[in-house]
Amino acid sequence: MTDFSRLGVLMTCAGLAFPTPLSADPDLPPWSERAIQEDIDIEALAASGQDPIPVLQPLGEHLFSAKFTSLDGAGRPDATGAIVPTKVRRKSHLTFQRLAGPDANACASCHNEPVVGGAGSFTANVFVSEGFESADFDTIDPQFSNERNTNALQGAGLIELLAREMTTDLRTARQSLLKKARTSGQPEKTELETKGVTFGSLTAFPDGTLDVSGLDGVDDDLTIRPFSQKGVFASLRQFTVNAMNAHHGIQPSERFGPKWTGTRDFDADGIADEMSTGQISALVAWQATLPAPTRMQDLPDVWETASAEGEQVFGTIGCSSCHIPSLPLDSLVFHDPGPFDTAGTLRPSDLDTPLALDLATLKWVQALPKDAQGRVLVPLYGDLKRHEIADTQNETYGNELLAQRFVARDVFITAELWGIGSTAPYGHRGDLTTLNEAILAHGGAATESRKAYSGLAEEERQSVIAFLRSLEIAQ
Amino acid sequence: MTRTVSSVSALLACTLAASVLPATASEREMSLAPVPGFVEEAQAAGLAHVYDGAWEYFVGGGVAIFDCDGDRRPDLFLAGGKNPSQLFKNVSPTGGELAFSGVESGLAQKQSEKVLGAYPIDFDNDDILDLVLLRLGENLLLKGQGDCTFEVANRALAFDGGRAWTTAFSATYEPGSEYPTLAFGNYVDRSQPGAPWGTCHDNSLFRPEKSEGGTVAYPEPIRLSPGYCALSILFTDWNRSGEPSLRVSNDRHYYRGGQEQLWAVPPNRPPRPYRKTDGWQHLKIWGMGIASVDLDVDGFPEYALTSMGDTKLQKLDVESDETVPVYQDIAFDLGLTAHRPYAGEDLKPSTGWHSEFQDVNNDGLWDLFIAKGNVEAMPDFAAFDPDNLLIGQWDGGFREAGDLSGIGLDRRGRGAGLADFNSDGLLDLVVVNRAAPVSLFRNVGQGNAAAPQPLGNWLAVDIRQPGSANSRAIGAKISVKTGNHTIVKDIQIGAGHASGQLTFAHFGLGVAERANVRIKWPDGDWSHAYRVFANSHVIIERGSEKARLWYPE
Repeated sequence: MTDFSRLGVLMTCAGLAFPTPLSADPDLPPWSERAIQEDIDIEALAASGQDPIPVLQPLGEHLFSAKFTSLDGAGRPDATGAIVPTKVRRKSHLTFQRLAGPDANACASCHNEPVVGGAGSFTANVFVSEGFESADFDTIDPQFSNERNTNALQGAGLIELLAREMTTDLRTARQSLLKKARTSGQPEKTELETKGVTFGSLTAFPDGTLDVSGLDGVDDDLTIRPFSQKGVFASLRQFTVNAMNAHHGIQPSERFGPKWTGTRDFDADGIADEMSTGQISALVAWQATLPAPTRMQDLPDVWETASAEGEQVFGTIGCSSCHIPSLPLDSLVFHDPGPFDTAGTLRPSDLDTPLALDLATLKWVQALPKDAQGRVLVPLYGDLKRHEIADTQNETYGNELLAQRFVARDVFITAELWGIGSTAPYGHRGDLTTLNEAILAHGGAATESRKAYSGLAEEERQSVIAFLRSLEIAQ
Repeated sequence: MTRTVSSVSALLACTLAASVLPATASEREMSLAPVPGFVEEAQAAGLAHVYDGAWEYFVGGGVAIFDCDGDRRPDLFLAGGKNPSQLFKNVSPTGGELAFSGVESGLAQKQSEKVLGAYPIDFDNDDILDLVLLRLGENLLLKGQGDCTFEVANRALAFDGGRAWTTAFSATYEPGSEYPTLAFGNYVDRSQPGAPWGTCHDNSLFRPEKSEGGTVAYPEPIRLSPGYCALSILFTDWNRSGEPSLRVSNDRHYYRGGQEQLWAVPPNRPPRPYRKTDGWQHLKIWGMGIASVDLDVDGFPEYALTSMGDTKLQKLDVESDETVPVYQDIAFDLGLTAHRPYAGEDLKPSTGWHSEFQDVNNDGLWDLFIAKGNVEAMPDFAAFDPDNLLIGQWDGGFREAGDLSGIGLDRRGRGAGLADFNSDGLLDLVVVNRAAPVSLFRNVGQGNAAAPQPLGNWLAVDIRQPGSANSRAIGAKISVKTGNHTIVKDIQIGAGHASGQLTFAHFGLGVAERANVRIKWPDGDWSHAYRVFANSHVIIERGSEKARLWYPE
């Protein structure tokens, strides 16, 4: 049992609350090579009435940049990088390797351009494998893995809030449809739409059954999963838990602990309880409060003019039908854990009181535009929907062989373009060096827009590039 | 601190230090897997029922769990012994407290009495569930009308319900048959000289006969002789041959020279018992209930056999030829013997009845429930004999958690069943007790009665073969894969103790957010993989491209 765990049990037995939500291991010397030294009791923090953001942010920032060591539990000799806790079939002689992982010392090893939490170069690509049994592969053969470029996390808190509201809308529509079919005694169909984005159709039957074959761009459970290049993860928390194990070999207890694996040291590296729920919450809070990308200020006149024209052209040629300039957000309170995570990622039901991070207290959020109803307009240039983005005429984005989490190889979530001016290279593999190449790579559902772009005069195409390059992650 | 195992651990650390827990609980190894809480609420739920009667009703006490009116919620038919059996419609609000409403089944008073057990089945292929009633006297085939009423179909099916003391049932669709073959297990033949000792009744097998007009009949039973006082029978494909055999668990208390049995039931040929020359080993137990599941997913099911004293867990002997039924008992190795009460001061052997493998904590590992209770007042066996809840562990073993979960009542359990009555993804439990009210436990997960909380992710699967015989796909196998972990469940009619169920098949998924489901249909064809998300009810119809989803109101 770790010191933290022992302390927790002791205080629970004594019927005491933590005197402070933040605790540190007092026995470590100042030169300790352990990167994980502090913990936070999130239940005590939630109950304290303190604003959790300033409490969590510093630890989250530290953990995001920390180079985890074997003393923290980095490495996973007996576990694969799979999302579901999975033992290796044979142990690798390598502690780190760039393919099956662990492949990074720190989150910031890859998420670092132009600032920590940002995107990464092709150098920082990772390999995503669904082949759990083959997680100890030692080849980059794409039949075993998909190669992905590092995404930027700036604004991720607002993205998750949008996704949560959209999920709620879709599920409410589902419930209404089912009720309607039960009442009418005949099949009922509805077109799904939330925040102006359509997601195909649902058909409900009087017996409470549902035909989901008409859905478009969303999973059958109507959960909007906005994270990863593919759009298959629902929350920062879920992604963080996945990534800690996959990339670092640090096993968060909420998925790899005794409740779901029967052991406190699933990867058998001699370190138990490698990451607590409080430490994950700190990482989530730091990511969720990263300032959203903005527009470049003080552009030269020629760029300003071109950018303004390009923004118009961007809409005219249809790019903005998927790369929607902004989506309205009703609530700025980011609850952690979130409402749509399932077992293995901390759920609201696992706590007495979830943390409530009020993003409205952040200055960069206060600076965002609002609509007539007072809703914050999140300038994401996206729709949080998955689309088929390659076809036989243009296969560039269909360069993966494997589906991921039930999503076909050539289907990806619309990339949010905010910050695109700071996150070269482009494409989910990060193998396109210019925005022009990235636009011309569009196929599938984006074919018409790509053709329209191709048909523009060079000056107009340049204006689109000027506009996109003005969308930056501030440094 | 999160309200997870860590809190359970902390709680245990506190309570152990304070010596609050019963000594037996503190001395045994605790479950590392989460232990769900069960709240008994039969009375509040409107489930008032008692199974009772004289010696003939020391055994039996079954419950059929099935949807009698097409709303996809599991309803209950409860055997009453000398009391009338009762049918209860499930009116539980989704995720809420359990609630049942007694309804008229359409049975005459005389027909609803002397019932020991009940199994749901669709014997006429109309996709409306019917019932088979096991009785002291004439067994009844009840044709479901779809509105929770039933008509006795014995005459229409030319079925002679006999006069035996029937205590077990199983059914299968033999290869090439459009209608089910019915097997009845009988207990003591009281009319024979010297009864009850050594006078076990033969068992019966009814094969369907189809007339030129297309109607089905069950005119002539085949005697499965000798009978050894069966208390649980199950058609099971023990050797992956595609041809189910009939496993019979017998009560040694009354037979002479008997043993556990396995009958080969080749299509269109007479059944024959496996003998020593076939590899079948002589085993004498007080067999009360069979539970079957393929724990290690090797294609060969394991069988838990309840008895007086220790429960057996039989696994096909890996050293033997797969074609011969040689089993080894691995119950002790896995901590599954449950041979005496885990709580209280009574250290005499316990008496096991209904048993059932299910996943009560949704961690992806099978758990085993065993109903326990003294036969009546047998002095050599424990009087206080609480039901078991053996929680599956990641090391393959099981740990007792009956008391910690709240199901360890001082009642004499008999038949039982686990099903999700309030559609919240947690399996609830109904236990028919002898001479005591039926118990109904709501699974509240890691929460409490006021605030239930989920455990692991789950999946409920209903499979159908629409428009064809055997629409409920009896004999099919459901395979659920998450990551590189696969769990399988067979759709069967039979086993347990006088209790059967046909509802959504329930699977715990642990921390998996999605799963691939494949069906091995009764004729052996495998489906493609259906991709489904956790925490949902899915309906897979043979030949369909996608699973349909079901949402309770």
